[in-house]
Amino acid sequence: MTKTRNLLLASAAILLAATVSAKAAPTCENGPIQIGAVSTVTGVVDFSDAPRATQAVFQQLNDAGGINGCKIEFTIADDKGDPQVAAQAARDLIDNKGVVALAGGASLLDCAVNAATYDRNDVLAVQGVGVDPLCFNAPSVAPVNVGPYTLTTAVLDYATKDLGAKKLCTFFSIIGGTQEAYAAAVARWEKISGNTITLSDMTLPLQGDLTPYLVKARDAGCDAVLTNQVEPGVVQWIKTADAQKITGINWLFLAPGYTEGVSKALADSKQPIYVGTEWEPYTEATEANADWAKTMETAGLAKTAFSQGGYMAAKVLIDTISGIEGEVTRETVTAALKEGKELTYPIAGNAYSFGDAKAHSPMQATKIMQLVDGKWTVKTKDWFVLPAAE
Amino acid sequence: MDSLFTAAVAGLSAGGAYAILGVCAIFTYRLVAVVNFTGAAIGAAGTFAMVALFELGMPLLLAVLFGVAAGALAGLAIGLVMTTWFAGSNASTKAAVTAALLVGIIAVGLRLTGGQHPHYFPEIIPGSAFRLAGVEVTWAAVTTLVLSVAFTLLTEQFLARTRTGLQLRALSQRPMAAELIGIRVRLLALGVWAVTGGVTAFALMIIAPLRSPDFASLSLLVVPALAAALIGAFSSFRAALIGGVMIGLLEGSVSAIGPVSQYRGAVPFLVILAVLLWSQRGARWDEAR
Amino acid sequence: MKHASFRAAATTALSLAVLGALIFFLLPKYWVFLITAVFIVGIALQSLGLVTGRTGMISLCQMSFAGVGAWVTGYLNLIGAPGGLAVWMLIGGLAAVPVGIAIGLPALRLRGINLAIVTLGFAAAFDTVLATITFPGQTTFTQVVRPAAFDSDKGYFLFVLLTYGVIAVVLEFVSRSRLGAAWLAVRHSERAAAANGISIPRAKLSAFAISAFISGISGGLLAGYLGTLVSENFSMMQSLALFAVATMAGAHFALGAIAGGMMIVLFPELLRRLNLPQDVGNVLFALGAVQALSTGETIAETWMRLARKLRPKRVVEAATAAGSLPEKTSHPAGIALEVRDLTVRYGTVTALDKVNLKVPAGTVVGLVGPNGAGKSTLVDAIAGFLYRYDGSILLNGKALEGVSATSRSKLGIRRTWQTTRIAPELRVGEYIRLAAGPINESALESLLAWFGCPGPETPISTVDVGTRRLLDVAGAVASRAPVILLDEPAAGVSYDEALKLGERIAAIPETFGSAVLLIEHDMDLVRRACTAITVFDFGRVIAAGAPAAVLDMPVVQKAYMGVEFEEAAE
Repeated sequence: MTKTRNLLLASAAILLAATVSAKAAPTCENGPIQIGAVSTVTGVVDFSDAPRATQAVFQQLNDAGGINGCKIEFTIADDKGDPQVAAQAARDLIDNKGVVALAGGASLLDCAVNAATYDRNDVLAVQGVGVDPLCFNAPSVAPVNVGPYTLTTAVLDYATKDLGAKKLCTFFSIIGGTQEAYAAAVARWEKISGNTITLSDMTLPLQGDLTPYLVKARDAGCDAVLTNQVEPGVVQWIKTADAQKITGINWLFLAPGYTEGVSKALADSKQPIYVGTEWEPYTEATEANADWAKTMETAGLAKTAFSQGGYMAAKVLIDTISGIEGEVTRETVTAALKEGKELTYPIAGNAYSFGDAKAHSPMQATKIMQLVDGKWTVKTKDWFVLPAAE
Repeated sequence: MDSLFTAAVAGLSAGGAYAILGVCAIFTYRLVAVVNFTGAAIGAAGTFAMVALFELGMPLLLAVLFGVAAGALAGLAIGLVMTTWFAGSNASTKAAVTAALLVGIIAVGLRLTGGQHPHYFPEIIPGSAFRLAGVEVTWAAVTTLVLSVAFTLLTEQFLARTRTGLQLRALSQRPMAAELIGIRVRLLALGVWAVTGGVTAFALMIIAPLRSPDFASLSLLVVPALAAALIGAFSSFRAALIGGVMIGLLEGSVSAIGPVSQYRGAVPFLVILAVLLWSQRGARWDEAR
Repeated sequence: MKHASFRAAATTALSLAVLGALIFFLLPKYWVFLITAVFIVGIALQSLGLVTGRTGMISLCQMSFAGVGAWVTGYLNLIGAPGGLAVWMLIGGLAAVPVGIAIGLPALRLRGINLAIVTLGFAAAFDTVLATITFPGQTTFTQVVRPAAFDSDKGYFLFVLLTYGVIAVVLEFVSRSRLGAAWLAVRHSERAAAANGISIPRAKLSAFAISAFISGISGGLLAGYLGTLVSENFSMMQSLALFAVATMAGAHFALGAIAGGMMIVLFPELLRRLNLPQDVGNVLFALGAVQALSTGETIAETWMRLARKLRPKRVVEAATAAGSLPEKTSHPAGIALEVRDLTVRYGTVTALDKVNLKVPAGTVVGLVGPNGAGKSTLVDAIAGFLYRYDGSILLNGKALEGVSATSRSKLGIRRTWQTTRIAPELRVGEYIRLAAGPINESALESLLAWFGCPGPETPISTVDVGTRRLLDVAGAVASRAPVILLDEPAAGVSYDEALKLGERIAAIPETFGSAVLLIEHDMDLVRRACTAITVFDFGRVIAAGAPAAVLDMPVVQKAYMGVEFEEAAE
């Protein structure tokens, strides 16, 4: 008993040293602290790696005795990629489960559908992986990932600075409401770098032949091309480029392209392929990844980029709750998050804070990976951090 | 104009796929009188079976053979449903059945094949055949085109020249009568289902590496396929063949026209609309009404 | 029947009110929130039931219509248009109407399968369009504002329930009106519907327009329900799933629409509580739909059948003459119908060869001849169901060439079919109204009584085939058309009934004022009813004149005896 207590105190001390006063004593008179996540688990995609990692971290915490004796009960609600189901799931978590906050969710449409619900109920969401644009454009959501929009700016910036690209082109496939967000991301890059984009195409189809687009990029004379293709699209993109025998273009992708599946599928390609990561590259066994990797191994979960998001979201919640003096309720957790304390984790390139802004995009740092002979290789030893937005 | 042509050529491989799927749709309609909304989904099942076997380490050729067999089996399964419970139903009911089945098949397919990381499709026919208008035309595109032409011609010859073909035609027009003159109706119908399943599976395998290879999007290739079949008025294989290729080319060229290119998914619909409006100029009362 | 539809509407309204009160007062907030969605989906299902269940056209893009309504509602909210949600969703529904009509247009003259393809194509196209446009207000985080009086979750439930109630009641009236009967008739047989003077394009388009309108309203309600929407709300898969559920539940019944809504909304909830994956739902919907299609009975129909078993059996009541029949209609004297040199060819086969025929006003003319002699072809030609013929057909001296079947029927040529084509979902009174147009209650009752038919509230499905043949004739007669073509009305009728029918037919001209062209094999009936006979063989007129004289002619005997022998041999 004492041993666990000591262990808890020790780990809590390490965790909180940077940010939280050690004297805080959260209490939980009404049973375990309820936290939930709305995620896409079945349907077109399976993003469950993120909330499962969150669950693993909370489990680890509970096994170690909880926060000041308070255990955390975590619920993963599947939204099937269906807005109606997502809305129901959020209501269920808020009304029936009585969650104090949401953490570690990764969904195709949770933010878009539910951000307003969260706002109305004064419950905040620390999204594990923010996907849709509203995750970065709502008062009630602050994801722990960089997100496709900031990452677009960062990767474009990297291409100008480190790859010496002169004629940058972008191809985006637009799903509901992302058009403005991508346009803003490109505009932000233009402002930072002082360059203008050579070609910006927002009409990439979600499915279908990519040949016309690659031909268009080649004919426009682009020397670096960024697309927001997700995993299968990345492979399709490069294979089509190979089929069309296009050379001399740096291919830039966002975090969804950074997977082992892509590296395996494109092992034979000679094309220069770059991706920007959301966190410390998950394929690297670095010091920064040590705690996350250990947690995943203990829980028997796969080490994926999504699980980094789930892991970090759990850490944010634990640290926030640990700093609460008194009863842990929705009000106190929301207030603590809105204080906007900066929380620093080795897994991310800059400090996370929620805060009280109208929109949140706290993470602004990435590392760039290149695919070399079927292996992801780190191109930037240090974090590539964007200058503060506005 | 030049870029338009380039883009059109780039749509060739999609066109080949639409053509063969369209021809398969007519094949099913003419022989077993079903407008089959699950056509592409059946093919997708076979394709994913191939990928699963390939990922398990089976040699590509063998995996393809098993995949085609799996497609045929999937077709057979739908065929069993149709012949067991809906042999005597009207065309509208049969279409409704396949539309409803599509919902379930996509759910099951996504469950079995989906997940966080998609599968990767080996290129069965790699490399490019020749260069046209600055675009490499791949062997895959050429093969789908050749395959659809071959399938069209073979089917036409088969139906016109062979005894079984004649029986099949009788079967689709008067199943009851066909039964009376001793044709094994059910067996033949199941054969048709299996053949279409196998052919679509093979066609989808060829084009899958160049498309977004998730189960749902492959299954929904049925939309351009049926559009192609409509161009053939559900009777002419050749018209459907040409129609399918045209839809592909049209989609390709639309993607070169800036402001509308993001709506290129609407091309099959506009084609359907145009074809129907044109073909119903002369209204007539047919027996089915 | 007005009485009946008021009663049905009142029942619907009352049961909804009771249900709503129970939900509102007994259930916690979360469940009220869920059940709100049941009714919103229920509205969408009703709209689908209208086209697919009632009119028999497969629509796979119903959620796209809802999307149009939702987007318009969102836009009106964003610009702060006056009127609030109630007005916005009405405008949203109206905005969906032209889209619905545009989708319906290319399928007007084609069978349902083509429509299924058109609608699926539209759903796919709409997906790509919707995917590129953000829901109005989403980027500025503007929520669709609910009406002030119904702002809370429970309040909004009442708003949705109210909307559902209004739509359900209106649909109840419409479905029992002539338009509603026309939809069922179109689903059952387009030819028969056209023969009753129903404009097929109008019936189909009105179904599509009203359906799109209702669907658009459901989209507007959804916008107010969730505050903001994403394109996935209206994707092709949603439309397909909606179709599967509608097929399974029977969405053209108010009961089925609610049952379907419950399935779509509460199934995810159930799965969540059972810790089952969410995608199981779609698989079950698909299986359920296939099951319903194979048995031909939806969940709503099963329930109603079971409920009917519990209730005491209703006896089929014969119609009682409430008053006397109205005066006979006076039509112009002279030749009512004239056929001049009518020739019809199918390819190389000549079905009718220079046929001449006259039906004077106020008479019953018989048309006899062996099977395949071309009698039914003649009826098809006169009624306007043949695409091409040579020669001329005149009604009261006016040529009918180039006039559609529907218009000919409206001008005054009514026909019946060799096999009855009355939609079984109708009631006796509804069918007669469908055939006759405006007809008052007592005229309807006395007409039915004159023919010895069951009462107007009797469902057709409970009526035997012989009586349906009577109804065929009664419908044609009730229209008071100058010319009535009866195609073997006694087929499938017992001998005694046939004799009675003969007397009735003979009395038609003097009772109702119509001239009759009667095709019949039953010679006793023909002798009894007709004032003149024309005999056909191999597409030619071989004899014409007074019945007794013509039937004794050797050439007629030969043509007929041959047939009789054949029939005996079978």
